[in-house]
Amino acid sequence: MADFMKLVQNENMKTFLRARTVAMVIILAAAVTSVSVLWLAFGGRDVSMWDVVYVESSLLYFLVTIFTVVAGAGTVAEEFSSGTIKLLLIRPWSRSKILLSKYISTVAFALFMAALLFVVTLVVNWLCFGLLNDPSIPTSITDAGESPFAYMLRFYGLSFISSIVTVTLAFMLSAVFRSAVLAIALALFLMLIVNNVILLLSSLPYKWIDYVLFVHLNLTRYLDDLPAAGGMTLGFSLTVLGVYYVLFMAIAWIVFSRRDVAA
Amino acid sequence: METSVVRLHEVTKRIGGRTIIDRLSLELRPGEVFGFLGPNGSGKTTTIRMMVGLMSLTSGEISINGFSIAKDYEKAIRLVGAIVENPEMYKYLSGYKNLLHYARMMPGVTEERVQEVIRLVGLEARIRDKVKTYSLGMRQRLGLAQALLHKPKLLILDEPTNGLDPAGIREMRDYLRRLASEEGVTVFVSSHLLSEMELMCDRVAIIQSGRLIDLRDLRTGAGMTEERTARMLFEVDRIEAALDALSAAGLAAESAGPGLVVLQGDRERTASANAALVGAGISVYSIRPDVKSLEDQFLEVTGGERIG
Repeated sequence: MADFMKLVQNENMKTFLRARTVAMVIILAAAVTSVSVLWLAFGGRDVSMWDVVYVESSLLYFLVTIFTVVAGAGTVAEEFSSGTIKLLLIRPWSRSKILLSKYISTVAFALFMAALLFVVTLVVNWLCFGLLNDPSIPTSITDAGESPFAYMLRFYGLSFISSIVTVTLAFMLSAVFRSAVLAIALALFLMLIVNNVILLLSSLPYKWIDYVLFVHLNLTRYLDDLPAAGGMTLGFSLTVLGVYYVLFMAIAWIVFSRRDVAA
Repeated sequence: METSVVRLHEVTKRIGGRTIIDRLSLELRPGEVFGFLGPNGSGKTTTIRMMVGLMSLTSGEISINGFSIAKDYEKAIRLVGAIVENPEMYKYLSGYKNLLHYARMMPGVTEERVQEVIRLVGLEARIRDKVKTYSLGMRQRLGLAQALLHKPKLLILDEPTNGLDPAGIREMRDYLRRLASEEGVTVFVSSHLLSEMELMCDRVAIIQSGRLIDLRDLRTGAGMTEERTARMLFEVDRIEAALDALSAAGLAAESAGPGLVVLQGDRERTASANAALVGAGISVYSIRPDVKSLEDQFLEVTGGERIG
C-alpha cells in the first residue's frame, strides 16, 4: 500500500511540476479576485459576502472541471504521445494499478482545484465584503438561521460529483484514443454544447431523455430542495450518473490493460 | 552450460493477419552480450516490446529466469532493465526527478543507489537540469541510468549507441562488457551498426521478416588457431610463379584477384607457404586471414534485402 502511494506521488509530481498547472492556479485566483474587485467598484457594497461567494462559485466552478479534464486527459494520453508510456509500464506493477494511480491523482487534482476555488472565494470576499462591509447584512442564499457555509459546502459537494463524472469521461476517452487533444475537445464539447441541446430536448416528452448523462450533470439545481423538472429527484440523478461512471471506468480499464503499446 | 536467463520459445506475433514474428526461439545465457540484428522492419522492436510485456504474444512463450512474461509479469519484469527505442523521458522534469520517478516504482532502490547510477553514467554535472536541455547522448545516458537502477539481471537496449560520440560509444561498449563479465548481467542489444556489434557482442542473432535466419558465436568464429584453418591471403608480385612454387611445395593454392593468392592453412602451413614463396624469389608484401566482416556476413545472409 505504501508502495502504491508512491505511484500516486509520481503522478502528482508530474502534474504539479508543470508550468500548465501553475497557470491554472493563477487563472483561478485571478478570476475570483477580478470579479470581486469589479463588484466592489461597480456593484456597490451593500451585499453579504456569502452572496458574492455563491455567485462567483456558480460562475467559475466550470474552470475546476475544465482544468481537471485537461490534467486528467493529459495524464494518460501524454504518456503515449511523448513515448514515456514504455518506460512507465515496464515496472513491477500491473497496468491496472498504474492506471488507478493516475485516476486517483486526477481526482486529487479535482479536489485541490475545487478547494482552491472555495478557499480563494471565501478569503477574497471576506476581505472585500466581510471585513470592509457591514457584516450584519443578511445573505439571500439561505433563510435566516441556516448556515451559509453549510449551504456552500453542499453546493461544492454536488458540483464536485458532476465534475468527477465529466473528468472520468475525459479520462476514459484519453485511455481509449490516446490523444489528449481529442479527449479534452470531446469531453468539453459534450459538456458545453450537448449539455445545452439536451436541456432543450428534455422539455420534449420522450422517456429516454431521462437517462441521458447530460440531463443529470447539473446537480446544483437540487440545492434548494425544489422539485426538479419532470419530477426527477437527486437520488435518480445520482443513480444515472453512477451507472455512467461505472461504464466509463470499465471501458477505460479494459482498454488500457489489454491493448498493445506501440507508441 | 549454465541454464538460460531468457528463453523465447516459438514466439509468434500476428497483427491483422500479417505475421510480424514467426516462431522465434532464442536462449540467452547469464553474463553474455547478445546482439540482435536485422534490417529495418524485420521485427526487432516488436520482439523487444514482447519481451518487456508492452505487446502480447499471439502464441509461444517468453520467460525470464523461469517467470513467464505473460503469467508472472510483475516477477519477470522486476529482473529487467530496458530502453525501448529512444530513451524518452519527462522533458519538463530534471534528470534527477526522472530517476526518482522510476526509483519509486521499484522495490529497494535507495537514494545512494540513485546517486551511484548517476556517477556511473557520468551525469553528475547536469542531473539537476531539465531533460529538455539534454543532448541525445545525455538522454541516452539517462536512459541507461533508469534501466540500471534496480540492478537488473537482463538489460535490454535498443540501439544503445545512438547519438553518442565516438568516446561515448567506446565508454558504453566497455561498460556493457564489464557489466556482463563482472556482474553476470545478460545484455540484449539491438542495433543496425554491425561493426559496433562485432566489437561488443559474444553472440548475434540475425532476423529477417520476423524469422531467425542465423545465430552465430563471434568469440570463436573468427581468426585462426592451432587447430583451426582459415583462408589465408598472400599478396605477391607474380601470381603464376607463386602458384607454381606453392604446388611444388605440395600446397594447394589458387589465385584470388590481382596480386593475391589464397590457400587454406593452419599456422604451420602458412609458415611453410611463406618459406616456399620467399625461397622461389617471390616478393611477399602481406599475409592476412580472409575474414569476412560481420557486415559482409549480414548482407550475405539477409541477401542485402531492403525494408520489407
